[in-house]
Amino acid sequence: MSSKGYMGRILRVNLSDGTFHIDPLPSEWIKEYIGGDGFAAHVLYTEVKAGTDPLSENNKLMVSTGPITGTLWPMSGRTVFVSKAPLTGIWGESHVGGFLGPELKYAGYDMLVVEGKSEEPVYILIQDSDLQIISADDLWGSTTDHTTVSIQKKHHDPDIQVAAIGPAGENRVRFASIMINHARAAGRTGMGAVMGSKNLKAIAIRGTGAVEVADHEGFVELAKDAHRRVRENPQAKEMGKWGTWILTAVKQEIGELPTYNHKTGVFSGWEKLSGDFIRPRYTISDRACFGCSLGCKKVNYIPDGPFAGTLEEGPEYEGLMAIGSSLGIADYPTTLKANQICNKFGMDIISAGATIGFAIESFVEGLINENDTSGITLKWDDSKTVIKLLKMIGRREGFGDVLAEGSKRAAEFLGRGTEKFALHVKGMEISGQDGRTHRSIGLGHATGARGADHLRSLVVVDQLGYEEVAAERWGADKLPEIINPYTEKYKATAVFETENAYAIRDTLIVCWYSVSWPPIFWMKDFAEMLPLATGEQYLGKVENLITIAERQITLKRMFNAREGITRADDRLPDRFTKEPMPEGPGKGQVVNLEPMLNDYYRLRGWDLETGLPTKETIKRLSLEWAL
Amino acid sequence: MSTLANQLIIDYSKCTGCRLCELACSAKHEGKFQPSLARLKIVKYDSLGLDIPNVCPPCEEAPCIEVCPVYAMRRDPVSNMVYVVHDKCILCKSCVGACVNGVIRLDTYAMKIIKCNHCDGDPECAKICPTGAITYGPVSSISTVDRHGKVDRYLREVKRVASVEEAGGDV
Repeated sequence: MSSKGYMGRILRVNLSDGTFHIDPLPSEWIKEYIGGDGFAAHVLYTEVKAGTDPLSENNKLMVSTGPITGTLWPMSGRTVFVSKAPLTGIWGESHVGGFLGPELKYAGYDMLVVEGKSEEPVYILIQDSDLQIISADDLWGSTTDHTTVSIQKKHHDPDIQVAAIGPAGENRVRFASIMINHARAAGRTGMGAVMGSKNLKAIAIRGTGAVEVADHEGFVELAKDAHRRVRENPQAKEMGKWGTWILTAVKQEIGELPTYNHKTGVFSGWEKLSGDFIRPRYTISDRACFGCSLGCKKVNYIPDGPFAGTLEEGPEYEGLMAIGSSLGIADYPTTLKANQICNKFGMDIISAGATIGFAIESFVEGLINENDTSGITLKWDDSKTVIKLLKMIGRREGFGDVLAEGSKRAAEFLGRGTEKFALHVKGMEISGQDGRTHRSIGLGHATGARGADHLRSLVVVDQLGYEEVAAERWGADKLPEIINPYTEKYKATAVFETENAYAIRDTLIVCWYSVSWPPIFWMKDFAEMLPLATGEQYLGKVENLITIAERQITLKRMFNAREGITRADDRLPDRFTKEPMPEGPGKGQVVNLEPMLNDYYRLRGWDLETGLPTKETIKRLSLEWAL
Repeated sequence: MSTLANQLIIDYSKCTGCRLCELACSAKHEGKFQPSLARLKIVKYDSLGLDIPNVCPPCEEAPCIEVCPVYAMRRDPVSNMVYVVHDKCILCKSCVGACVNGVIRLDTYAMKIIKCNHCDGDPECAKICPTGAITYGPVSSISTVDRHGKVDRYLREVKRVASVEEAGGDV
């Protein structure tokens, strides 16, 4: 292994026969995929065959890192979980902050591959080269935080990093999460259910080794300068203070704060869910993930009211939206309590909130009634019922058992026209954006490999009107249309270029917040840094990084194509394409998806009719092996 | 103390637990990224949302000096900094156990005691710290009060929450 930054080893654990196996990291993967979800995509594509049940022992779960995980580079402490997704039956991945990934590298591994299924509940313990599978009989049924602390106590080491599932994962809730460091969630696509199906309660890691880079002095100097850029960036400073809560006011102002199950983008109670309101009243400390100068995590405490005594991190903007505005609840303590339940049970707050929103709207519109809902009357702005439903989902009790399947399956089960209120793409619930007031995210939601995704191609430059950055990235000739959020024109260009940069972000792996708005880091920064970290000069050219990004996005598409996904699945719910935005700045807007899709497929080299990668594209990206 | 020597000063209310100090420390002293060999440590309490930096502090009476059986641990009379004389050290680890902040370690690969030296007056941890939780300057007593205040407030809340839970309430 000549390339630096990597540990050069992949750890495999087979839970069926209880064995560990260490493979060398194939050196050719580095130029082809860099790391992170790129490595994991290769394993998932080659080893999990088409039609595999995500909850069967034939599915695999990858825990992956990148070449700069565990180094001084800003916001590089992230980890990705990759598997075939229980929620959607297609490509599944979930990135998470916290401290797990660096610990895996310090233990000596770039990636962990979990295979098979244990007969009894177990957890995996990795302490450098000491590898064990240990009974989790006494932990089964317990919450994620209790599981984490119990494992640390049992092995007398509070520095063990634990990725745990709660009752939701055990019960195979389709959107169950994997929890790290108490409140950091690998939330989306149901990775926790994969662990649950394997009878795997937790992955515990402690590493004492080192990550070494190719040019230590050069890399450290560049990383320190990168930290300076984060600290001096005005938007990053604001984000450090307010976290993602800053978005509530922004979204309200542009009429894109999802309200009443995405019916409208304006919420009268938005101020109670904004950073300005929350921070002075509830926030008691600021926290950060590994190696981050920004520190967007907020610990909050509710001193009085029905949820008095709640001490918990979060929720992020997406949680405020999913439990707050989207359910008509203008009450921050409810969202914090809901976040705590989601964290303890181990489930995704976005899908949980959206699925409850689906049920409420179906009930309010008279499509379902108390006979369906275990006798519970559903209505908007009802904190108590939402908290109750979340626990029922985590335990799969009564109506909670229906909702635990996610909105798509729940609508199929309930029928009676409820499908129109199930707001998902390919089975994954829509996140806190709206294509009607921000066309490029409409395209992103429709084409995302894991379904309605806000993290793989969300363009910020057009929405917030950064003219100069838009001109530099996409060409001045495309102004002003490309930064007009209400037109489809050129949006595929913006999504294509942004998705490529984010794909590199997800291989390194660095946080969304280091690339989310201009001008912290982009492709040329990564191209400058990667040769210093890895010694691979090939990774020092932006055009090579673009090829790697395209390869990765196309490989994920090929994985989905093998499961039957085509252009017909790249669609949005009718709410976004047929129901005009009823009020606010974007009043009257709808998404016209087809022209954007055509442009996008052309840029990707995918067939316009089927939406699948053409032979030429597959050849150009050296993916013939996957045919 | 005869001189007002510079010390690592901790503001316990500012630490976000990012561990950049551990990374920068190991990058400087080990030439690689290895928090397990950092000369300081962030103690994290995720359930409480609490992070506490442990550094080589201004010990007026240093237990590591007191406990060392071969007088290998000494104090520089000018800088007041405690340092190891490696030629004398017998690797008995007494100082590792005696350090009240747990920041003296045995590097089991290099087989030597590792200990903070304030980077000879220009500490990396203070330079990289994004929030000013670790600074370098003349010692003051305020930081000690802050530390106890923050922990005390947390513990009171934890006790209160636990008592509600025990009484069968839903916290």
